[in-house]
Amino acid sequence: MTTTTAPTTSEASTGAPPKLLMKGNEALAEAAIRAGCLHFFGYPITPQTEVPEYLVKRLPEVGGVFVQAESEVAAVNMVFGAAGVGVKCLTSSSSPGISLMAEGMSYIAACELPCVFINIMRAGPGLGGILPAQSDYHQATRGHGHGDYQVLVLAPSSVQEAADLMLLAFELAEKYRNPVMVCADGMIGQMMEPVVFHAEGAGPPMADNDWALTGCEGRERRIVNSLYLAPEELHAHNLALKEKYDRAARDEPRWELYGATEGYDLLVVSFGTMARIVKSAIDELTDEGLRVALFRPITLNPFPYAACRDAMDALPRDGKVLDVEMSMGQLITDVKLAAAGSREIAFMGTAGGVVPTPDEVAARIREELGAG
Amino acid sequence: MGSVAIDDVRCKGCGRCIVECPRDLIGYSNELNERGYQYVVFKGEPEDCSGCALCAIACPDEGIEVWRRPDAQTFVTTTGLTERMTHYCPGCTHGVVHRITAEVLEELGLLGRAVGIAPVGCSVLAYEYFAFDMFEAAHGRAPAVATGAKRARPECIVFAYQGDGDLASIGGNEILHAANRGEKITVIFINNAVYGMTGGQMAPTTLPGQVTTTSPFGRDVADTGRPLRVSELLASLGTPAFIARGAAHDSKSAIKLKQYIKRAFEYQRDGTCFSFVEVLSTCPTNWGLSPNEATRWVEESMKPCYPVGVLKEPPSEGGET
Ligand SMILES: Cc1ncc(C[n+]2csc(CCOP(=O)(O)OP(=O)(O)O)c2C)c(N)n1
Repeated sequence: MTTTTAPTTSEASTGAPPKLLMKGNEALAEAAIRAGCLHFFGYPITPQTEVPEYLVKRLPEVGGVFVQAESEVAAVNMVFGAAGVGVKCLTSSSSPGISLMAEGMSYIAACELPCVFINIMRAGPGLGGILPAQSDYHQATRGHGHGDYQVLVLAPSSVQEAADLMLLAFELAEKYRNPVMVCADGMIGQMMEPVVFHAEGAGPPMADNDWALTGCEGRERRIVNSLYLAPEELHAHNLALKEKYDRAARDEPRWELYGATEGYDLLVVSFGTMARIVKSAIDELTDEGLRVALFRPITLNPFPYAACRDAMDALPRDGKVLDVEMSMGQLITDVKLAAAGSREIAFMGTAGGVVPTPDEVAARIREELGAG
Repeated sequence: MGSVAIDDVRCKGCGRCIVECPRDLIGYSNELNERGYQYVVFKGEPEDCSGCALCAIACPDEGIEVWRRPDAQTFVTTTGLTERMTHYCPGCTHGVVHRITAEVLEELGLLGRAVGIAPVGCSVLAYEYFAFDMFEAAHGRAPAVATGAKRARPECIVFAYQGDGDLASIGGNEILHAANRGEKITVIFINNAVYGMTGGQMAPTTLPGQVTTTSPFGRDVADTGRPLRVSELLASLGTPAFIARGAAHDSKSAIKLKQYIKRAFEYQRDGTCFSFVEVLSTCPTNWGLSPNEATRWVEESMKPCYPVGVLKEPPSEGGET
């Protein structure tokens, strides 16, 4: 995409919204606008750069605000300010930048403000490298900053799904008054695929509410605060947050089951880019007559534990579970929690931006099945 | 025929008003109030008081109202503050700056549009005292929060209220860039030359030789650098701005300070520029001084290092840029 003028439904004569060829990062950015987000604050980092570069041109067309912050620390606090005054807002970064946003995320979650983060994960730790990885899984799902708070995490595995999950992210952020993170990697961010936007134009602003700081003219004043000096009050606040996260855990898990769903001897658990590759491997193996399925969590937090367990329970007694991730044993934490000791979980992981090929995954599955 | 009404419950006995009264009409009571402070009382006859209100202007605790005549009140407490008594130590001038900020917003008719941002520091609870919409931000980040809020709601009057650890140390980057971008926000910067809330550690603004808990032998500039003059630093940026430094330790300074803070908010109201007012403020507790000694320390020690006045004005309309 060299143009930033939003593709409109000029093909409305056909009735169907047009199919566009976009990079994942651009699709995420455009989808945010379709979700009604007109405020972006961010700091440059590879491989998410197309998000700000797209929005800096696109936001003025819809009367939006773009600020290049002086750091991720500042960016997340600008989000805090904008969310606190009741507008839909977005920031985007990649792994090292998300680490710097940790403090702000804790404050935003504590103050129960809705906003959306994009993490186009790159390989770590430290400065690491700029190639795709999934090594921020624990960071995303287990917390970034201090305190008992959670961020809801959505993981797309295609450009279309990235766009769809962006809409969902803003919906969930407002519903739960909580930060939501769309967690993808450099592969999804950079690749071009056809995408259809089902929402047209810039979406609606945030619904009226009783918490945003808009100036107290004609009403009681409001406070956005995370300081509770009385332990009983802070305890109650944490209980209220927990109730919210429990509600999300009950209502929001999303997943996909792929492959030989009618009956399988091996279940792979994988998400995002890695899950796409697993799908190609499964297609190959299905042609060979092997019965393999993929369980793909779409919500990394809340993790679809019950559905994952059901998928494992559908295996025959000697069936296998293989966790495949682009990190050194992070997703497997949740797979083990889902299994709750009922099965051994085999592990296949790469790091540093090494992306396994479908053939490599297929070879490993054959090996697990003794079908080498 | 003036009169003053002293709220003996609010009074923390700092004695500023006693020093301020030109006719020596205020003195300590022999009693302690319910919070254990030796409060002050009006000692004179009504005809003795001119109603000048210097006592109320210097009071950090919103404890005094003044009338010139029974039908002419010369000092009214502002509706921009809640009724809550502050947690500040006796003689700390955070309270004076709170009051002036609220008075200015009230006088400009901006209370209903105001969104303030409290820092982490002694004024972390400022949201309990300002009677309008308030954020409480992370340590040092208030200018970034203000940026987000103001960009999202330009109709709001957004200000950050920060201490010198908060703004000049951990938040150095946020204030520098908010100022450099020329955010149309107002920042009120309390320079008390120490970290107050954490118990008197060295701040970037601590004076050479000043004893703090982390410079127990006096600040050694060879090892810890020199006092950071934030107003001068910000004034050196090319971006148009209003930058002034005032003080809050006596009525004369407070009157001048109010003019600065008023102009700062007027510039924001008119969408002119970034506005910044530094305030030399007392911290008797952590300086180890009495409130009146602290007042003198601002005059004698702080002012030479941090001269008060307007450091920068935005270019006047049609004037040079
Ligand atoms: C990230 C972080 N680091 C440190 C602290 C501890 N802390 C609380 S207040 C404060 C210093 C505040 O001093 P200053 O800004 O000068 O304000 P004052 O209390 O003097 O008004 C510090 C270091 C904190 N709350 N958060």
